[in-house]
Amino acid sequence: MTLQNCLILAFLLFAIGIWGLLRRRHLIGMLISIEIMLNAANINFIAFSYFSAKDSTAGALFSLFAIAVTACEMAIALAIIVTMYRRHHSLDVNQLRDLHD
Amino acid sequence: MFSNPFFTDLLFYAVAGAILLTAILVVTVKNVLQSAVFLIISFIGTAVLYLMLHAEFIAMVQVMVYAGGVVIFMVFTILLTSHLGETSFTVKAPRMFIAFVFSVAFFGVMTKLLLKEPGLTAAVPHSENSSSLTSIAMRLLNIGEHGFVIPFEIVSILLLITLVCSITIARKDKGEK
Repeated sequence: MTLQNCLILAFLLFAIGIWGLLRRRHLIGMLISIEIMLNAANINFIAFSYFSAKDSTAGALFSLFAIAVTACEMAIALAIIVTMYRRHHSLDVNQLRDLHD
Repeated sequence: MFSNPFFTDLLFYAVAGAILLTAILVVTVKNVLQSAVFLIISFIGTAVLYLMLHAEFIAMVQVMVYAGGVVIFMVFTILLTSHLGETSFTVKAPRMFIAFVFSVAFFGVMTKLLLKEPGLTAAVPHSENSSSLTSIAMRLLNIGEHGFVIPFEIVSILLLITLVCSITIARKDKGEK
């Protein structure tokens, strides 16, 4: 287990997140893909704080703040999704095109 | 067991394989509810990886906040908005192809840039327990030069604002049934 292995794992997870974000047309499915990408970013923080960091406590703290902000983002996004479902009765992104009219 | 580098490598590859397999299942499975369940397994695998990187507190936070909070919240929303997550929308073939090409291109470019960088395989962990619970707590509530007390307070205000905002957004309007 070296730093390079951890970084390549994080890149693979981020690429899977991009794949899902572009592939899915369900709003919650796209949010789940964003979660995978944020998880990859957190793995990067922890890996750099474990290997070769001058201040490794700060790395762990940064990932803590990232987790807190992600939880906030998810709460707001899911509230928006519930409202959108109540108004349009659909979560398909293709059917929500009329939002910009 | 952790002192033996062979076992550490073996455990790392097993955990990384589990994380990647479940992440691919999250993306490719049609049912959104199943995808959320696979996301829980992927997050627990990530928590095991954090334990291997000696970040025990972050691993606990990962299990409690992500696997226990965010994904359960997501499952509730899926059950509220669709009938057991059965809705699978049609995805056209060109879009699937373009998405795959984009992700592979991203991974290729980033890995090519990473492999140019020297000294990444030789990086050694410098000291044990540097991200232990005591040091995290001391840094988080330190008001000195390297303290994080102001971001800590800002995050607490952010959580309060999020609570109020999400209730306000998801509340039914007065005219609505």
